[in-house]
Amino acid sequence: MSPTQRRTKSSGPAPPAKTLVLDNGAHTIKAGFSGLGIESPTPSIIPNCLARDRDKKVYIGSSLSACKDFSEIVFRRPVEKGYLVNWEAEKEIWEHEFFDAKAPLHCDPKETGLILTEAPNALPALQTFCDQVVFEEFGFARYLRCLGPQLNAYNDIQSIYTPPSTRPANLTSIPPAEIMMLIDSSYSHTTITPLLLGRPIQSAIRRLDVGGKLLTNYVTRLLSLRQYDMRNDTYLVNEIKEATCYITTDFKEDMEKTWKGPKGDRRAVYETSGGIAKDYVLPDYHSLTKGFVRDHDPDAATKLKEMTKGKPIAASEDVLTLRNERFTVPELLFIFLSYRWVYGQAFLANIIVVGGNANIEGFIPRLQMDMRALAPAECIVRVAKPSDPIVSTWQGGASLARDEDRLAALSVTKEDYDEHGSAWVARKFGGR
Amino acid sequence: MNFGVREVALGTRANAAPGWAYIPDTGVNASVTALQPSSRKRARNQHVASHQETTAKQDAKILRELAALDRENHRDVSIPVPIRHRDNAGRVSHGKVTPNVRKILQSQKTFANHLSDYEALGSPLTASAPIAQPSAAIPNTPAARGTPGSAAPHLTSKGTRSHKKKDPNAVSTPTPLRKVSSALQITTPAAVKTESSTADVQMIDAPILSQGSGAVPAVHPLDNDPLLISRIPGMPSQAEIDWLLAAPPLTYNEARGSWVEEDQRKPVRQFCEVCGRSVLQDMGHERAMGYGVGVFGMAEALH
Repeated sequence: MSPTQRRTKSSGPAPPAKTLVLDNGAHTIKAGFSGLGIESPTPSIIPNCLARDRDKKVYIGSSLSACKDFSEIVFRRPVEKGYLVNWEAEKEIWEHEFFDAKAPLHCDPKETGLILTEAPNALPALQTFCDQVVFEEFGFARYLRCLGPQLNAYNDIQSIYTPPSTRPANLTSIPPAEIMMLIDSSYSHTTITPLLLGRPIQSAIRRLDVGGKLLTNYVTRLLSLRQYDMRNDTYLVNEIKEATCYITTDFKEDMEKTWKGPKGDRRAVYETSGGIAKDYVLPDYHSLTKGFVRDHDPDAATKLKEMTKGKPIAASEDVLTLRNERFTVPELLFIFLSYRWVYGQAFLANIIVVGGNANIEGFIPRLQMDMRALAPAECIVRVAKPSDPIVSTWQGGASLARDEDRLAALSVTKEDYDEHGSAWVARKFGGR
Repeated sequence: MNFGVREVALGTRANAAPGWAYIPDTGVNASVTALQPSSRKRARNQHVASHQETTAKQDAKILRELAALDRENHRDVSIPVPIRHRDNAGRVSHGKVTPNVRKILQSQKTFANHLSDYEALGSPLTASAPIAQPSAAIPNTPAARGTPGSAAPHLTSKGTRSHKKKDPNAVSTPTPLRKVSSALQITTPAAVKTESSTADVQMIDAPILSQGSGAVPAVHPLDNDPLLISRIPGMPSQAEIDWLLAAPPLTYNEARGSWVEEDQRKPVRQFCEVCGRSVLQDMGHERAMGYGVGVFGMAEALH
């Protein structure tokens, strides 16, 4: 595109016709276009990584889906602790996904707006880097950098608690939710953000450095100690975790069920553990590319059993049996997540949980139970998760992108950046 | 501990030859105390400052294991960006690379590097935020409290020079804006004012108690029944809301939940890090019952 064309395009008041909503998570990017002209915006979920398999082949972003053998795969992630740190890798992934000629979500940044999320309490230097790259390298026409949790306020929050019987046919845009408490339990950390009128109360945001990665690593550790050495297969362990982990409502009872008992007094309940014991059939990446869960069968022949008994290996399946790993590991979140921050009643009544960990079975009932026990008796406590907690932030962004006036007021255009520089942009996004 | 040996006068000539000589034993000998750490026997009954019942060794182990749990890959790997992409159209299509961007792209800093940079800088943003100053409610911002002196402005201006060479007004302290008087500088704050105020006005104008899709429920005869009446807490005033929303973000470390009194008490239940089972604190044999020493030995060897 020639420079003159660019000038005529963006110097006028006409805003970019479409907006790229980019929820740049540490584990996956949630990206897609939204705008008034787009009927039903849908996000793509793109792994935010460079990955290298055992054959030394490197996969970038969404091309990871072409990978057939995930054993010993290693990752390089540009987002560290929730913050975009390594732009060399991130640029490579963005180029691959958005700007290359045959990119899946191809767009011309000069005609596109950008809504980019960041984790709360980011370092100013990293924010500046982000602004500089967005404008100076990619040259997006318009840009909004905001907290990921903030975007959730643009979803229809009340319908999460009580789904409306009739959904309005075309939901153009809705005003941000007035008050809500957003718990974002994601790959790197869990953050708690109170939001008022769609804006975060910055001084009350808290972070817990426990996220999906730590849980996965902990499962890895336990499995490596008890069964197979899984330390080089965290991708697989993550799948095991997602398939089997749940959050218990009665920790003591479940521990009792999964107790093997002292030597010489093995407990009968241990074998199936009252339904808690599950078998995860490991993929061999030849006939089986993805593992699956089933109820534990004590009589099934597995390779591990035969190996430990010294028999010749005849079993076809490699099975990991999970017992208390299933609930002790995610319990970590709740040991630490002691709800000590006293918020107003309205916050307690509007708690939304998003992020990948919200999908762990039993998360919401447990949180509701614990919060109920801690909250004053007269308070209403409502905890819910959106139908898809992973893309909820993205959907909020997509909803915001349809509200042209609001978005224009919040965003910064390329001209603004060229005129005032990155410090001005940082101040604008920082609300100062 | 000179065992009663008296010093032998060696005369004035300094003996440079290797070997040894008796010297007077004056005070504490560092090498001896290093072998016998002061803590053990003497500190047995004295109150330890730390509320946590962990020793330094245990602390170090915990930190090591947390770091291990935070790892991306089990081994250290480096996956370089594929070269064919780097040279190809990717870079060219966006035109010339500005010096800022080149610096950013070439930076191999990790988050830990950035964080320590930021800490070394004295967190200028919190220090300069005027709103944080009068509030007692905003928790522990030691930097903010230390501001009124001259140290913080000095630090910020230094930070500006070292980090953002391109932008003279890079750090958003109000002071440099007032001092410098170029034409651009004068227009900038005005623009900020109008921009931020319009954003504020728009937000505030939104009716505070309206609900997106909520319809007003039908009137019920028992609405005023004292048993059924619902109590709605009073809305905070607009000023309070503004104040809440205007507070600056906390720094990375401040946003971490801090210890409260409950954490500093002796934990009610402890979990064995290997099997996840609850360990009764005063019953050491519980630990040994479930699994033998061998498992622990293995755990140690593995990690």
